[in-house]
Amino acid sequence: MSKLSEKRSATIPASEGYLVVDTKKCQGCMTCMLVCTLVHEGKENLTLSGIQVIQNPFEKFPNDLTVEQCRQCAMPRCVEACPTGAIHADSQNGNVRRINAEECTGCMACVEACPFPTSRILWDSEKEQARKCDLCADTPYWHEKGGPGGRQACVELCPVNAIKFTRKMPIKDTDADKGYKVNLRGSGWRNLGYSDQ
Amino acid sequence: MNGYTGKILRVNLTSGKTSVIPTQKYEQWGGGHGMGSAIFWDLAKEKAISGFDPRNVVTIMTSPLSGTLVPGASSRTEVQGIGPHTSPIEWFTRSNFGGRFSPMLKYAGWDGIVIEGRADKPVWLDIRNQDVNINDAGELWGMDTWQTQEEIWRRVVGSRKSEGWTVLGSEEDGPRTTQMPAVLTIGPAGENLSRIACLIHDAGHASGQGGFGGVWGSKNLKAISVIGTGSVNIANPGALIQACLWAQKKYGLDLDHPDESWYSWHGPRMPQFVLWERRKDARLKACIGCHLGCREISKSGLGNESVCVPTTFYRDADKERHKGRQTEAVYIASDLLQKYGINAYEAFKGLYYIKALNEMGVLGPGKQIDCDLDFSQFGETGFVEKFLKMTACREGRGDDFAEGFYRAAKQWGRLEQDLKTGLLEYPYWGLPEHGCDPRTQVEWGYGTILGDRDISEHDFSSLSLWVSKMKQKGFTVPFPAEQAVKLFTEKMTPFEGDMQMLDYSTDNIYSEHIAKLVAWHRYYTRFWKQSLLFCEMRWPDFINSKSPDLRGLTGEGEPKFFNAVTGKNFSFSDGIRLGRKIWNLDNVIWAVQGRHRDMVSFADYIYTKPFEGNRTFPEYYAPGLKNGKWDYILLNGRHLDKTEFEKFKTRYYKLEGWDIHTGRPLKKTLESLGLAHIADTFIPPLPRDC
Repeated sequence: MSKLSEKRSATIPASEGYLVVDTKKCQGCMTCMLVCTLVHEGKENLTLSGIQVIQNPFEKFPNDLTVEQCRQCAMPRCVEACPTGAIHADSQNGNVRRINAEECTGCMACVEACPFPTSRILWDSEKEQARKCDLCADTPYWHEKGGPGGRQACVELCPVNAIKFTRKMPIKDTDADKGYKVNLRGSGWRNLGYSDQ
Repeated sequence: MNGYTGKILRVNLTSGKTSVIPTQKYEQWGGGHGMGSAIFWDLAKEKAISGFDPRNVVTIMTSPLSGTLVPGASSRTEVQGIGPHTSPIEWFTRSNFGGRFSPMLKYAGWDGIVIEGRADKPVWLDIRNQDVNINDAGELWGMDTWQTQEEIWRRVVGSRKSEGWTVLGSEEDGPRTTQMPAVLTIGPAGENLSRIACLIHDAGHASGQGGFGGVWGSKNLKAISVIGTGSVNIANPGALIQACLWAQKKYGLDLDHPDESWYSWHGPRMPQFVLWERRKDARLKACIGCHLGCREISKSGLGNESVCVPTTFYRDADKERHKGRQTEAVYIASDLLQKYGINAYEAFKGLYYIKALNEMGVLGPGKQIDCDLDFSQFGETGFVEKFLKMTACREGRGDDFAEGFYRAAKQWGRLEQDLKTGLLEYPYWGLPEHGCDPRTQVEWGYGTILGDRDISEHDFSSLSLWVSKMKQKGFTVPFPAEQAVKLFTEKMTPFEGDMQMLDYSTDNIYSEHIAKLVAWHRYYTRFWKQSLLFCEMRWPDFINSKSPDLRGLTGEGEPKFFNAVTGKNFSFSDGIRLGRKIWNLDNVIWAVQGRHRDMVSFADYIYTKPFEGNRTFPEYYAPGLKNGKWDYILLNGRHLDKTEFEKFKTRYYKLEGWDIHTGRPLKKTLESLGLAHIADTFIPPLPRDC
């Protein structure tokens, strides 16, 4: 890590909000992805969704599906990697890690820097800019207060309530699923005939 | 364009060339079926041909709602063309399927695909955004549908991963996606030109009716793969989101707190449409954009995504064999249907037909109908594996099975007798009966015989199928017949208010009221469900227990969503009127194919044998007037009257504005619908008046 990155890392405050998901409850409808791009871009586009549902219908449950949401990392490598500071912790919105489109030069350093197997940084190949989940801090097409202090479209619209917003940082170690993939099933789910474990 | 991409891909397999049809040329038809019929009319120079003829034109259409947030309307794809399944004429027909194909096609920038001609060797169509290639499918030919899809995924995605994303094109900063290609493919049944072969997508989505699997096989088309990274523009994103929240809050089932008394077609309390024993370790699985899934993904990986008949196909055989205990045979049987690509209805009805023939001593090893199946193993995995393999591969007697059991019975010299007795439950167009018998739920049988295929449209089933189920289990039906009928008929524009449309009593089933029921049903489904692709499993919603007055969201919901996406100002009635136009166009196509009212007739047993219940419903109920009062009346014990049915047809044709002598649309009717250009090209000329 460069000295600049170290300095940035030491000074980035933690996000005041996180998305957690129940990957066993998820029904793979991708409503979260569809509403994410609708509220941010005004159109439907799976590529530009800040939450990605990836599934294989030939696989066995529960390994057939995963939900990859931005983890709002405590030590965000995307922020550290950004040469212009376009990705930053937005102090006006609960320190959510978000991209200032005007400052993004399209270098893709953040895309490569994301430590997860599926990069949480999205790439808009038409505008040649990066995008990411901002917990709905800036949703030109949805007039609800978003960000950590407000509501998230994916949480609101998920038909099975498989996504939850929390103020509590799930874990300190950003390389594990623990804390970000949770159990949101209860007795209602048992009524459907499914296990709530 | 909002909702639409603006382009339809036209593929000529004979020349190997592709071109573009501007969507605007067909936008007036809405999408899906309407567009498909109009395109078929324009491009199929010969219409009275076999489905296997290379001149057959197949359309695979999305709707402006595909790939959007509209609940239960985002994921269906409508397939049309001449299907080789029906008899005596291979009708121009349709079959749609769910999953993620139509959304992915939209994201790739296409509103649909038109397939013409025949390739001279097996090919597959590879669509990556606007990049389209016709590739050699030699190595894929012979693979089952699951193997084919996984192999195509490997070829398309391959090593193109970058940070977990698939990059399309050659540039590192090119468009990318986390998604796998959406593939529609045939299996061995289609390759072997079975008339009962399907198109399969993912694990359990099927374009099952019509025999399109065999059509693709005859064209040497193995599969179509599409992967897209683009967008669907939405006219009013805010309105779309509000509409989704409105539907969810006012009419939607809260899965975390389900009310025991809940009922609604828009979201049943037990949303999974699987008829085998439920599995605890499974995922509720939805198509893209659906608010409430109806499928499952299991811990064993068996039976993934299968619903409805595939899940009941071998269920009873398995349980009877194993003294009431269900085994894995039911899942394996369903998976084999998907992998071979065989129509589940034919397999189901056919299986029990040949079993009956075996019990009569007529069919089996060394019998009059020699068949190398060991019926002593009926109910075991080995039996169904052999039955399906011989059907898919046309091995031994499977060569007859692959033709469909109507033609098989004809081949065996048994057709007439078995249709008389009802041993072969194939009441219409050489197709198997669905479970909603023509003698009971008449709009189903009438809609089918006046159309091209088993309609498979459950729009009125909550009044009959649900009620029959509740009565079977000893439950009180929560909505009295009169109230329920009112909730339906008040929305059935332009016939609203005529409650006798839903009077299934014998005195009424040949009346003009029922003619209106059938007509309305054709119009609603042709436009809202088959052109805009609102899913059959979640729409329409007439009765919803969440509403204080039980009124569901149908009538308000459909246009609300359509207008939010497209920016149009379309009413529910506008859709019904366009549905009528599309229905008339289809009837002109059938007239060209040779339809005449004389052939619109059920199998003999429908007119002579009383309905005495079936495997699923020992007693079948539907609303009706009894001594002037509304009730759910028992429909067992009746059959249709042939003479009265002929009178019904006359009433129906009059209502439609068609020639009562031939059953074909009249010129003046077509002119009134803006179809004068079609009326003028019809040969021989259509009569102007009755």
